[in-house]
Amino acid sequence: MELKTFFLIILAVVGAPIIGGLLSGLDRRITARVQGRFGPPILQPFYDVIKLLGKQKNIVNYWQIFCVHIYLISSMLCVVLFAMQSDLLMIFFVMTIGAVFMVMGALSVPSPYSQIGAQRELMQMLTYEPLLVIVFVSMFFVTGSFKIDDIVAYDRPLVLVLPLMYIVLSFALTIKLRKSPFDISASHHAHQELVRGVLTEYSGPYLAIIEIAHWYEVVLILGICALFWTTSWSGMLLLLVLTYLAEILIDNVMTRMTWRWMLTYVWGMGIGLSFMNLALLYAGSF
Amino acid sequence: MIPQQVIGISILLPFLVALLCLVKVPRLRSLLIIGTGIILSAASFALLKADPVSFSPESVLGMNPDVLIALLDFALLFVILYISYKLKSKLLIALSLLQILPLAVLEIFMHPGSGSTAPTIFADQLSMVMVMVISIIGSLICIYALSYMKKHEDHLHLPVSKQGRFFFYMILFLGAMNGLVLSNSLLWIYFFWEVTTFCSFMLIKHDETEIAKANAKRALWMNMLGGVGFVFALVLLQAQGLPLSLQELVAAKPAAGLALLPLALLCFAGFTKAAQVPFQSWLCGAMVAPTPVSALLHSSTMVKAGVYLVLRLAPAFAGTLFSSYVALFGAFTFITTAVLALSQSNGKKILAYSTIGNLGLIIACAGINTPAAMSAAILLIIFHAVSKGLMFLCVGSIEQKIGSRDIEDMRGLVSRMPWTTVVALIGMVTLFLPPFGALLCKWMAIEAASKLPLVVIMIALGSAITVVFWARWAGMLLSSTWTEKQGFTEYMDLLVRIPLALLALGAVVVSFGVPVVYSSLVLPVVSRYYQTGIYVASGGGLFNEIGVFAIYPVFLIMAAGVVIASRASKKARGRSYCTPYMSGIQSADPNTIGFVGPLKQWVDFKAGNYYLKNFIGEEKITGWINLIAVGILIVLLAGVL
Repeated sequence: MELKTFFLIILAVVGAPIIGGLLSGLDRRITARVQGRFGPPILQPFYDVIKLLGKQKNIVNYWQIFCVHIYLISSMLCVVLFAMQSDLLMIFFVMTIGAVFMVMGALSVPSPYSQIGAQRELMQMLTYEPLLVIVFVSMFFVTGSFKIDDIVAYDRPLVLVLPLMYIVLSFALTIKLRKSPFDISASHHAHQELVRGVLTEYSGPYLAIIEIAHWYEVVLILGICALFWTTSWSGMLLLLVLTYLAEILIDNVMTRMTWRWMLTYVWGMGIGLSFMNLALLYAGSF
Repeated sequence: MIPQQVIGISILLPFLVALLCLVKVPRLRSLLIIGTGIILSAASFALLKADPVSFSPESVLGMNPDVLIALLDFALLFVILYISYKLKSKLLIALSLLQILPLAVLEIFMHPGSGSTAPTIFADQLSMVMVMVISIIGSLICIYALSYMKKHEDHLHLPVSKQGRFFFYMILFLGAMNGLVLSNSLLWIYFFWEVTTFCSFMLIKHDETEIAKANAKRALWMNMLGGVGFVFALVLLQAQGLPLSLQELVAAKPAAGLALLPLALLCFAGFTKAAQVPFQSWLCGAMVAPTPVSALLHSSTMVKAGVYLVLRLAPAFAGTLFSSYVALFGAFTFITTAVLALSQSNGKKILAYSTIGNLGLIIACAGINTPAAMSAAILLIIFHAVSKGLMFLCVGSIEQKIGSRDIEDMRGLVSRMPWTTVVALIGMVTLFLPPFGALLCKWMAIEAASKLPLVVIMIALGSAITVVFWARWAGMLLSSTWTEKQGFTEYMDLLVRIPLALLALGAVVVSFGVPVVYSSLVLPVVSRYYQTGIYVASGGGLFNEIGVFAIYPVFLIMAAGVVIASRASKKARGRSYCTPYMSGIQSADPNTIGFVGPLKQWVDFKAGNYYLKNFIGEEKITGWINLIAVGILIVLLAGVL
């Protein structure tokens, strides 16, 4: 292995959770300001995770422990594969491992909240997974490759060629981050009918592991967004900042919807927009 | 041993042993079947070492093999005609006659094969893959059946054992399948094709219940419809002066106009055998048969004969509009059966629909007709056969123990059958998660389909649905709370344990060995028909111009992950465990899950999956699916003319 790739892997493994945690802190801070509160310090997510790691272990069965570890490792592997500029579809499939084990962990507990959360999480996966595949396929349509290094080498910002696909991607992003209106399987606050859905039966160190895995995922998703503007650093940064701010705004102004609405609306919009974007591409090439 | 002899053993030995199985000495039969399994597996390995072989046997049992096959063909068709007559089914009689009469015209007046020097037997790597699947997985399933059928008959309290007949058809079937995939002559293939149809019919109605008889009849007429298509294809080929042998036919590339019609009819025969929509109902009905039958005929091997034929013919119609329709048809089957599987709580039906879906994906790959797609198709045949065979056997064992095949009843199975549960989990995970082979094939298929928007969207949606029904089934099995005396012991017959363990091991090892399997078995076939866009195996992964899949790195990291995860989960001690949160007063005993509800009433924990029966229930959408599928089929066949 080249030294450069080695450092890249180390950077991805160490750097991703730091970025993810900071983003989460910023997210909470901005959300608080939007709601007229002062909000916690930016580093609060790290304090939370450190505290959780030190807490006593409390768990219903050992499959849960197994599942959270697989979730963490698959999320880390995704980020590493992304850093190594591998195949987008392969990264997507590796990401599925984590999502599936998260659901299996929740289903392994005879708890009504965790069970209903798992069923809803499955519906969320069902909604975003095909959309992500379609986004990757449309990137292939333009750049002629699924490999990230070829996509990065494309000479125009993809967001200008595939503007509608970027919207489709942002749907998938919102669902994956479980932000309103798609916080269907696990809400951020436990005082609702769902308690905390898929996360209900996790506490202490195991909840910390899930949190860290989630940070990796956030970074991965933003990385995929970044692929839509690879010609300049400033463009990429602008795109990411705008995207994340839009996410926070949507999270704050929307209420939670039902999974039935999510499935029909997002699939309809997603597939419709995809076909429209492809049609535009064909029209442009004539 | 020379390949000719090995091929002879692979085809003829099962026919011989099948007859011996009728002898009513159970112990002898068991030894015979185990011995045959070992010989067939060894033969399939011996064949693997050889280069592609083709030859025409001079004589079989002292007769000209062409004449022998023709005679047996008519004998079989008249048996089927007699059965149709006994069943008083006009449809079946018509379908039998529609095969006998054209075949008689072909054999008597048209002199097929006269002057042809084409070899009647041809074995390349695709045939070898199929022979391995049939001989190894087939034998393991037959060995599993020894124990299964004993319990099955004990349960039914049969006065006279019917196992002799059962194993006669099972073993006969192995020979017929080997014959089918090793033949080059289409007349031979047709004979073996009909033998598999016949075995399938006899095995589905084995239990002789009303429903078994009805479903067997449906399976027979749908498969015979394909048989009719096959015979007419043969007549048309002969009439147009095209060769009646596979390799020569593909080399002739009859891709224009009327010449494409026989190919389309052969593909149609393949669709019926592979139970593609609108013919899916026969495979679902076939699930009434004892589980080894479902594992052997209706998931691992016989239905693969259908996709095998389409795959063989695919290079002949590469680049035609017909090919795109085939891709669309396969993708449509893939997505609709995924939806149907999502609505099911019957475990065997989920497996049946998922089988049809995977076959649909293989046919879609044949229609996409690029080297990447063909590689995906061939690999999927292997991986699907191993993992789905394993899943069927697991469900068979589970059903015999808990008396239900409903997945809701399998909730928490891990505390009752821990060993079987883990094996079933391996079966499921190898079917839908990376880094295992089946998922690799899906990845290849999506990348190959990415130039066909409609097909790729259907595959993407179908594949997401697949993840949902596997993930929830896998999760439910694990539903449990920690108790003090939790162990990992489960009594199991050795004849059940060994096939399950070997298949589970095989599913993982073959997935890990993909680069080797690909270079030695798939690449030689694909590179014979295509020049560009071929995957290369190197550095522990597969790659071409548009994509790369790093198999070894992902495999190793995930394997390390599994080790870390299981160590971490073993570390938790007794006092780390608690009961789930119920938002009420709950019991401290981990065996009673629930809480004290309103009016001090105890409320038990209950859970159920979303099956969405109101939206996608089988009876609600099957009609529409069949209608659209018939539409695609008509366009597909009419488009040729």
